[in-house]
Amino acid sequence: MSTSSEDVRDPQASLRDLEMMLDAITDQAIIKLGPGGEVVRWSRSAQAMTGYEQREMLGRPVAVLHTPEDREAGLAGQELETVRRDGRRTFQGWRLRKNGERFLAQVTLTPVREQDGTVGGFVKTLKDVTESARAESLFHGLLESAPDAMLIVGQDARIVLANRQTETLFGFERDELTGREIEVLVPARFRSRHIGHRDGFLHDPRMRPMGAGLELYGLRRDGTEFPVEISLSPLETAEGRLVAAAIRDVTERRETEQRLQRQRDEILELSTPVIQVWDKILVLPIIGTLDTLRATRLTEGLLEKIARTQAEVAILDISGVPTIDTQVAQHLLKTVQAAALMGTVSIMSGVRPETAQSMVHLGIDMGRLRSRNTLQDALQLALAILAERAGTAAAATRALSTGEGR
Amino acid sequence: MTEDVVPVMRIGDTLLVALQGDLDDTTVIRIEEQLTREIANTSATGMLIDVSRLSVVDSFIARVLARIVAMVRLLGAQAAVVGIQPAVAITLVELGVPMGHLDTALTAEQGLALLQRLRRDDTGTDLP
Repeated sequence: MSTSSEDVRDPQASLRDLEMMLDAITDQAIIKLGPGGEVVRWSRSAQAMTGYEQREMLGRPVAVLHTPEDREAGLAGQELETVRRDGRRTFQGWRLRKNGERFLAQVTLTPVREQDGTVGGFVKTLKDVTESARAESLFHGLLESAPDAMLIVGQDARIVLANRQTETLFGFERDELTGREIEVLVPARFRSRHIGHRDGFLHDPRMRPMGAGLELYGLRRDGTEFPVEISLSPLETAEGRLVAAAIRDVTERRETEQRLQRQRDEILELSTPVIQVWDKILVLPIIGTLDTLRATRLTEGLLEKIARTQAEVAILDISGVPTIDTQVAQHLLKTVQAAALMGTVSIMSGVRPETAQSMVHLGIDMGRLRSRNTLQDALQLALAILAERAGTAAAATRALSTGEGR
Repeated sequence: MTEDVVPVMRIGDTLLVALQGDLDDTTVIRIEEQLTREIANTSATGMLIDVSRLSVVDSFIARVLARIVAMVRLLGAQAAVVGIQPAVAITLVELGVPMGHLDTALTAEQGLALLQRLRRDDTGTDLP
């Protein structure tokens, strides 16, 4: 006897095999329906999924599993009619378990035809997709509610997915973006460089934070550009490695930063005035604490003014400086030295008694810098210096014209 | 007799020296030879050293200037440095290059007046 004839010889055994195979399917409920939609066979997995046993269900309409709304709408009958007419169909719908719990089922309904072509019944399989549907809807909810434009890009740099923020930010419809290369959102002048960058990223993908010290720009559909920050992260999926990009419009922040910088510059400019009070005499009223930035600005301002006005005396008035510590003194000395290199004599004024005491106690040495109590005294000294210099200058000119040196 | 390496202009009894370009050790030696010779030959009493056309002014140049000034003084004349630009002044101060012992002025005109003061101080203290 050959083994091939065994199946034929024992149809009972092969039927048992089929039953066993059927029962081994646990994630799909398999139901055989009669031509009117009544249950004819109820698999063990159907029992596990719905909670109904075969004996409860035999002969009852499958609509028992439908929600009351669907039952009222006669949905079960419509489904059967469609399939009877058009053939097998797969769809999703909410179903009820025996305990009243709802689940989302992926349903496949297949008509079973008799020899003469009439539909003698149906096979219905149900798969519980509640969990994956929930995960997917959560994912989409997350994507859509994200404050940033989110894009998912494939290995070929084509856009796989874009959220609503992307539409708002770039002015493209989602359908227009899907399948296009990511460079459509990059200003033309950066495109070739961008292609290099994205190839590099695909080869060695690493989480890259927003910005990361780069000034990036996005391109809207209408051709306008705007500053963006982008974070990239690799996304390993069944379809291979994808790249998730979050894009944020930073126009407002950039503007705020620039405005702040401008204001800082202006304040600095205002806080370090250099005033020409007399021919060849400059006064620098220093108000507030003198930090490194202000001191640098002060020195630059003074030297520029010296070069422009050919001033010979600079008065540094410190009556508006709350305390002179070692740091401030150091800054002042540097300013004085730099001015001296340009031939300008400096005079400090506005030193209060307590300032004088604390400066000496701190061991601050202002070198040979001349100092006066009030601005008025300092101005008198400056005029005296100038007069003396004018005298020697006149003598120098005289000496030149007469040719007498000594 | 060595060639002149720097242009020297004479105004009255003052020499105006314009240092320019890059200075290296050999050039500096030749400049020192030339300037000391000029002072001795012309019996000038003052020298203004214009540094506005030097490409860099750093601690090396500062030392060079100090040396020239010392030589000039030994020959009985006064010397001052003119033409330090704002940016150069700031750099020198920030680098901490010691320039305090040098007499400086912004322009040649102011430099002439400065030399006059230096001469007066010089003769004043030397008078018996």
